[in-house]
Amino acid sequence: MIYQSLGEWFDKIGNFSLTLLIVTVYGLLMGAFIERIIAKVQGRIGIPYKQPFINVLKNIFKRTAISHGIMFYLGPVFRIAGGIGTLAFIPVIFGSETFSNFSTAGDLFLVIYFMFFGQLGMALGAGESGHPYSAIGVARGLSQMTAYEVPFALAVVAIVLQYGTLSINDIVAAQQGGWQHWTMVTNWPATLAAMLAFLGMTGYSPFDIFLAPQEIPIGPPTEFHSAYLGLLQLNRALFGATKLILFMNLFFGGATGWPELMLKTWLIYMVAIVVGVAFPRYRVDQGIRFFFKLPTLIGIMSIIYVQMVLTA
Amino acid sequence: MTSLNRHTLTGHSAALDFSQPEPVDLSSGKYVKLWQGPQHPGITGNMSLELTLEGDTIIGCKTHVGYLHRGFEKLMERRTFIQNFTVVCRIAVPEPTFNEYLYSHAVEELSGIEIPDRAVWLRTLNLELMRLASFLMWIGGQSGAFGMYTVPNWTLSHRDFVLDLFEEMTGARIYHMYIVPGGVRAGLPEGFEKRARDVMDSTEKMLGQVERVMFNNAVTKARSRGLGIIDPEMIDPYGIVGPNARACGVARDLRKDEPYLAYDQLDFDIITGHDCDAYGRAWQRLQETRQSIDLIRQCLDRMPVDGPFQADMPNVLHWKVPAGETYVKAECTRGEYGYYMVTDGSEYVRRVHVRGPSYTHAIAVMERLAVGCNIADIAGLMVSLHTYPPEIER
Repeated sequence: MIYQSLGEWFDKIGNFSLTLLIVTVYGLLMGAFIERIIAKVQGRIGIPYKQPFINVLKNIFKRTAISHGIMFYLGPVFRIAGGIGTLAFIPVIFGSETFSNFSTAGDLFLVIYFMFFGQLGMALGAGESGHPYSAIGVARGLSQMTAYEVPFALAVVAIVLQYGTLSINDIVAAQQGGWQHWTMVTNWPATLAAMLAFLGMTGYSPFDIFLAPQEIPIGPPTEFHSAYLGLLQLNRALFGATKLILFMNLFFGGATGWPELMLKTWLIYMVAIVVGVAFPRYRVDQGIRFFFKLPTLIGIMSIIYVQMVLTA
Repeated sequence: MTSLNRHTLTGHSAALDFSQPEPVDLSSGKYVKLWQGPQHPGITGNMSLELTLEGDTIIGCKTHVGYLHRGFEKLMERRTFIQNFTVVCRIAVPEPTFNEYLYSHAVEELSGIEIPDRAVWLRTLNLELMRLASFLMWIGGQSGAFGMYTVPNWTLSHRDFVLDLFEEMTGARIYHMYIVPGGVRAGLPEGFEKRARDVMDSTEKMLGQVERVMFNNAVTKARSRGLGIIDPEMIDPYGIVGPNARACGVARDLRKDEPYLAYDQLDFDIITGHDCDAYGRAWQRLQETRQSIDLIRQCLDRMPVDGPFQADMPNVLHWKVPAGETYVKAECTRGEYGYYMVTDGSEYVRRVHVRGPSYTHAIAVMERLAVGCNIADIAGLMVSLHTYPPEIER
């Protein structure tokens, strides 16, 4: 999409900034809400809604007196850049000029790239810390990411073939007209494969070994502190909400307003939460084996399903 | 593949191989030295593990204690018999009552004191409540070590209900100092029996939920099946006792084999398992938790409601215990707990030696079972052996 004037660019950047603010606040609020739900299952009261905001602000305003090298400090910056970049190319509200962000043809590729980018940047930063727990956490995290990206990538390929486009906006448009047009219904194998991969993406049990306090504390962020930890916490909220919006767009018909977006993303997130509170965590080799079996098989099935049934 | 221990894979004879592993060249870059503890969520207390890794696999494990800096046994030699009650209970924080009982019992044996029948029952009730509280804490710990945090919240909240009962019964939640030479410090408060039965009912119901969520869980099984297999041949050479031994099918329980207090008047059988891995040990402890609830109910049913709970005692400020020596033992949640005491007829104990099951379980057994494990399983393995480091470093 070519913008005609500088004014249009400023408008677009302003709109995106507004979207970024709303999505980040929503991510932080949802984080608190989810923590409270988990607490209820566990028989606790849970954290106050303001707690994630306090955590982020407290850490952001702290300073550090020690140095681990430039790359260590760039890690969280890359991480949050990945989160912002991912959101930048996802249309948040379908049909809204204000909340369409920088969505353009082929944005699906860009989004998937940005999803990797942040995690790879973080891995470089954590590796620079020199802490063995960070290195082990990075190895586990990247191994697991490679595994869950396989069924997710297969599901994405399936819907690209199904809708014949790489534009997220066009994919959402193709799902309008009622729930029976959602990918969840028209291509349920792809949705199933993607949702299984989603369990790995969220970092809840049984796929949270890379951040496991018992098995290795605390994984990649072990040495991160002060403002850098604040950036990571901020990104966790932003990136988490962004992934939910992406899944909502690809598989659940997108959203035409904020209430619809909040309801759908909350329901998608609940899948990971319900599984998370009911299961311990897999070791990384067990997790990888899991993703390479059933989810990958379903992902392959979804492509066959598109080729044999939907586009035949 | 589950992380079977390298030694157990090679057959029974390897189980008794006490040879030290070959030293590795850390400068080769092929191995990583990693410390787990003393400040680590995957460690059960004041100790640490020095692990040598080849990839994700542990090829060497050395345990390190020495972080407590108390020296309980020496402290006791400088205190009068009654003053030692503030010391003994701290040797095993999650279940101090067994230390109180054994210390009292040793002093009573050397002094020739007979305790009243009601005190016998109150002590039995107290020990079983302690066993229940300790097992509830352990179940939560084992579940947490595998990354499931729902179960610890359930079990620890119910442990708190048991601690409420302790508070009513003894005036304290953790360090009760309730069992003293000559009997116990108090009888049961009014309404205690009903409240105790209510707690037993709710705890039993909760254990059913724990069984469904934790024990019938595919991921729990994937993590714990085949982890830290104790070869039955290791039981005696390594000094393995309690649920760790019973889970291997060895029917040893001091409550049955050498009954003390009122255990010979209670109806129960020794529970044994057949899976010698972490899952088998967890299952064993779940069943023993249920058995403990049953024993508490039996105590409440059968204990006398009236009568003295304390024998006539000399003035504790000038109390001299006759010269002699004795070894007393009891079955705690982790196995045989023993006190060896020597007195010289003075106001002070000459020597006390505390035999806690953690000494063997957390050092020799841990160092053996850790080899061949995945690094991610080390916390689950350590918890599965149920150890309290202060017992090691007395």
